[in-house]
Formats: sequence, structure tokens, C-alpha cells
Amino acid sequence: MRSRIFPLLLGASALAFGQFGPQSIAQQNLAQQNLAHKIDFPHDAPVTLAGDEWGGSAATVRGGAYAIDVRVALSLRNASERRIRGITLTVLAQEATAGGKGSISVPSLDVAPGETFSVRGDLHLLRPIAAGVSPMVEVSLDGVLFDDLSFYGPDKLQSRRTMMVWELEARRDRQFFKALLEQTGRDGLQKELLASLARDADRPQFGVQMVRGRATNTAGERDLKFAFLQFPNAPVEPTSGMARIVGNEARGPKLVVHNRSPRVIRYLEMGWIVRDSQGREFLAASLPSEVRLPPSSSSQLLQDASLRFDPRTSVESMTGFVSSVEFGDGSMWIPNRVQLDDPMLRRVVAPSPEEQRLVQIYRKHGVNAVIEELKKF
Amino acid sequence: MTHPLESDLALYSTGDLPLWRRPLVRLHLSGCDGCRSWVADFDNDRESIRRLAAEMPVGVNWDRMAAEMSANVRLGLEAGECVASRVHKPTVATGWRVAAASAGVAILLVSAWWLNMPRADSVALVRAMHRIAQAGPWHAGGLALEDRGPTVEVSASGIQLQQNGGTLGMSQGQERPVNVTLSVQGSARARYIDADTGQVTITGVYAQ
Repeated sequence: MRSRIFPLLLGASALAFGQFGPQSIAQQNLAQQNLAHKIDFPHDAPVTLAGDEWGGSAATVRGGAYAIDVRVALSLRNASERRIRGITLTVLAQEATAGGKGSISVPSLDVAPGETFSVRGDLHLLRPIAAGVSPMVEVSLDGVLFDDLSFYGPDKLQSRRTMMVWELEARRDRQFFKALLEQTGRDGLQKELLASLARDADRPQFGVQMVRGRATNTAGERDLKFAFLQFPNAPVEPTSGMARIVGNEARGPKLVVHNRSPRVIRYLEMGWIVRDSQGREFLAASLPSEVRLPPSSSSQLLQDASLRFDPRTSVESMTGFVSSVEFGDGSMWIPNRVQLDDPMLRRVVAPSPEEQRLVQIYRKHGVNAVIEELKKF
Repeated sequence: MTHPLESDLALYSTGDLPLWRRPLVRLHLSGCDGCRSWVADFDNDRESIRRLAAEMPVGVNWDRMAAEMSANVRLGLEAGECVASRVHKPTVATGWRVAAASAGVAILLVSAWWLNMPRADSVALVRAMHRIAQAGPWHAGGLALEDRGPTVEVSASGIQLQQNGGTLGMSQGQERPVNVTLSVQGSARARYIDADTGQVTITGVYAQ
């Protein structure tokens, strides 16, 4: 009997460790040593690759997929005749797989023709083993935004719209700081930068999970209406809205918006602020919607999505506000600094990337460096 | 004249001689009366033996013969015991052996799992088992978010995409993001600032 059991155990051992052990370890090491990558920019792209560094990038076999750590630093040259204000790169491990796609964007740039600039990214992606290893990761250009707000790129990630908002916010905030400098001088600018730093430190950031798809109705659900922050000159006025609340989840938000501008609106984005029973307020999510909203018309916006908050969070109230609007001709509207001066928004909404950049310059180099930076624009 | 061996002639008579040697023997027999008579004698002897074996002995008691054979076997064994003492090893019941083998295989598989399976998969499995144990399909409560597809999660430490408790993709910079945003269309962004240059980098992951 023993002479039959031990060969059986040895065979099973060889099978188990042969399947999962040394072979897979060898496979992992192989993958780690050879992270095949491809940088694919169109021949007429306004940027060219001056150098790339993939140190620390690795792929590890996990079950039926490669877990890929992409640590990339690209040096790009502005090959166009215009100044570059923003760039978005697509980092693709697998198009059709959840977790197979990521993006790296750099807003608030000011790159003159012929100058080089760097783009760094740190992403974790997945790629099915069946998809092969060559190349494991592909970096491509999704879009470049220029100083005249023209755009180049396939825009598969809708980066034109996103970068346009960042650029408009940057112009608005630089104008605000410049005006502040003129009116209140160096001390006034410094005071505002310090206030921004303080708000940043106090801003709450709670964990939120989101999943797309329709949720089934369950017992104990209640409908909760949205309150709205109204911006007097905004092209869109939210008129009503609600979401289903069950436990610490908010499901299926519905909003009705009215176009009070004389122009067709094709996209709008709203901010969704949640207040819980403990009085904590935070920006839970943004509600983007592709719409076709003619002048003086209303439309209902539905989102098959659910948000789940911290288990201790009992949603008490919800507030919505319009954060950006895109018109039919591609131009955009964003709230101005006065509208954003609402106490609730100041508490929960993060400043623009440009304001954070200027504040970081202040922290590192002082107020004079910020003044010099503002003079460049 | 060289004659074949008697053993070869005997084998030839029964058809057991190797094929390649048969033609030589047959050639020799065609010209040698003495050897041919040997082969004829072998044939006659074999026929006689076959005939004798076919005739059953009269009055044989088969039961008695079987008992005598068993007794002789036992006698032989006991005589062997007298010559050399045997070491009796304690024997384990067959059931225990099977159980031990099964336990060994189970330990082997669990070790292989522990050493090789990704932590995320193990966590997902544990969570699924925990959910089954705690809630069970008999509870009519709402579905967990993970059951409905990829989950996009944002927190102060960053953003990640999960499915069944396992991480699919995330932004995982060494530094903490200065801001994270979540879109209900299934994406999330994390904003990082270079401490020296102030350059802002925004990374995004997409559920679809």
C-alpha cells in the first residue's frame, strides 16, 4: 500500500508545483525581465519622442492575466508651431478588458515649439495571458491641446473636453491671481495662496465605490431629492433630481436640467455633493451626460450607476451643481471664481490643477516665483 | 557431417525452433535418416504423453488432494518460521492509510495555492466564501456592488478598479494624490503634483 501511496504523492507534488511553482515563477521572471512595450505616435503628431525610460516597469503572472506595473517617463518634443497647453496619453494593456486601459494627462503646460517636456506615469494594468506578450503595453497619443484651444488627436478618451476644462480653469485662476496681485499686492497674493493651502489640507476625502449598471429595487429604499447650487449666469439650470438611498448606497441618480442659453448644449457635467447624518460633506462623484439640449428646452438625465459610501455614512442630503457645459460648437462654459466662492464648494471641491501648481510653486520657491510664473502668461 | 543438437531437433518437432534456423534443420533432415528418426521419436513420445494426460486417474479424491496441498503449504511456512524469526511490523489499517494519503494531497494543494496564487484572488475567494456563509442566497437583501461588475473606488490613497474584491487596475504612484475624482460613467482620476517643478500629472483608470 505504501509503495502505491508515495509515488502518488510524489506525482501530485510534481504536478502541483510543476503547474504553479517553478514553471510559473520562471514565467514571472521572464515577464519581469522583458516588458515589451510600444510607443506609437502618428507620423504627423505635434510631439515626437525624445527619450523614454521604463525602469521599474514589470509584468507578473496572476492567474489568467499579467498584472503590469507601468512606470514610464517620456521625454517629448513639441514638433508643432504652437505652444502646447496639455497632453493626454493612452496606456493600453488590453482594450476590451476591464483594467486594461489607463491614461496619463499633463495639464497646465506651456511648451514652446521645439522645447522638450517630460511626462511621467505610474499605472497598474491587467492583460489576459491569452493576449500574448508582444507588446505588453502600448502608449499612444490621445490628444494635445494648444494655446489657441485647438486640438490634435483621436480623442478616444474624450480628452479634448477634459483638457479644455483644465485650460479654461487655468486661465480663469491665473487671471484671478493676477488681479489679486494688482489690487492687493504681494501680501494679498501670499495670503490667498496660504488660504488655498489651508483649504487643501482641510478638504475631506472619503472613500466612495461606484459601479455601473441597474440595481434591483430592495426593501428599505427611499427616494432622496437633490438640492441645487444655482449659478445665475450658468447656461444650464438644474430643476429637480433624486436618487434612491438604501443603507450606505445611493442608486440611479435622475436629474432634470433646463437649457436657458440661446445655444445648443451637447454635454454637461454636474458635481454631486453628499452630506451624511454626522454633518460630513464631500464631493462624491461627477455626473457627466452626453445630451442634445436645444435652447429653452429641458431634459431628464439618468445614470445607471450606484455609489457606495463608508459603512458609517448615512446619506442625509445631496446637492448638485453644474461644473461644466459644452455647447454645440465645441466651446465650453465653466463656473467663475465668484460662483465657486460658495462656502460649501470651497469646502469640498478641489481647486483647479493650475491653482494647485501655483500653490506648489509657492510652497517650494516662495511668492516671488509665483509672481514670475504669472508673468509668463 | 554435422548433426543438429538433440534439443534443436526436439524444438523443431514441436515447432518452437526459431524461424531462421528451421530451414537449415529441414534441409538436414531431408538427407539424414538418423536425425529424421529422432524427430519421429519425439513426435511419438509427445503423442503418448498427451494421450496419457487425457486419461483421468480412477478414484481420485480432489477435495482430499486440495486439503493435502494446503496442509503442505502451511507446513512449509511453519518450517520457515522455525529457521528464521520474522520481524512483525505494526500494520496500520487500510482506512488510515487512505486518510493519511488524502491529508497529504490536501496539504500539498493548499501549500501550492498559498505559495502561488495571487493575493487578490485569494482575497476574492475568501470574500465570496464569507458572503455565502454570512448572507446566503436565502437572504433577500440588495446585491453587493461587486456582484454587478467592475467597481471603481476612490479614496485618499488613490484610485482603483476592482472586481469581486480583486484589484484590476489602479493608479499607484509612490506619492499620495492631491485629489481624486470619480465619474459615474465608470472612470476615476488621481492628481499628483511634482514637489520640485509643480507639474501636475493626472492618471485615470476606466471600467469600460
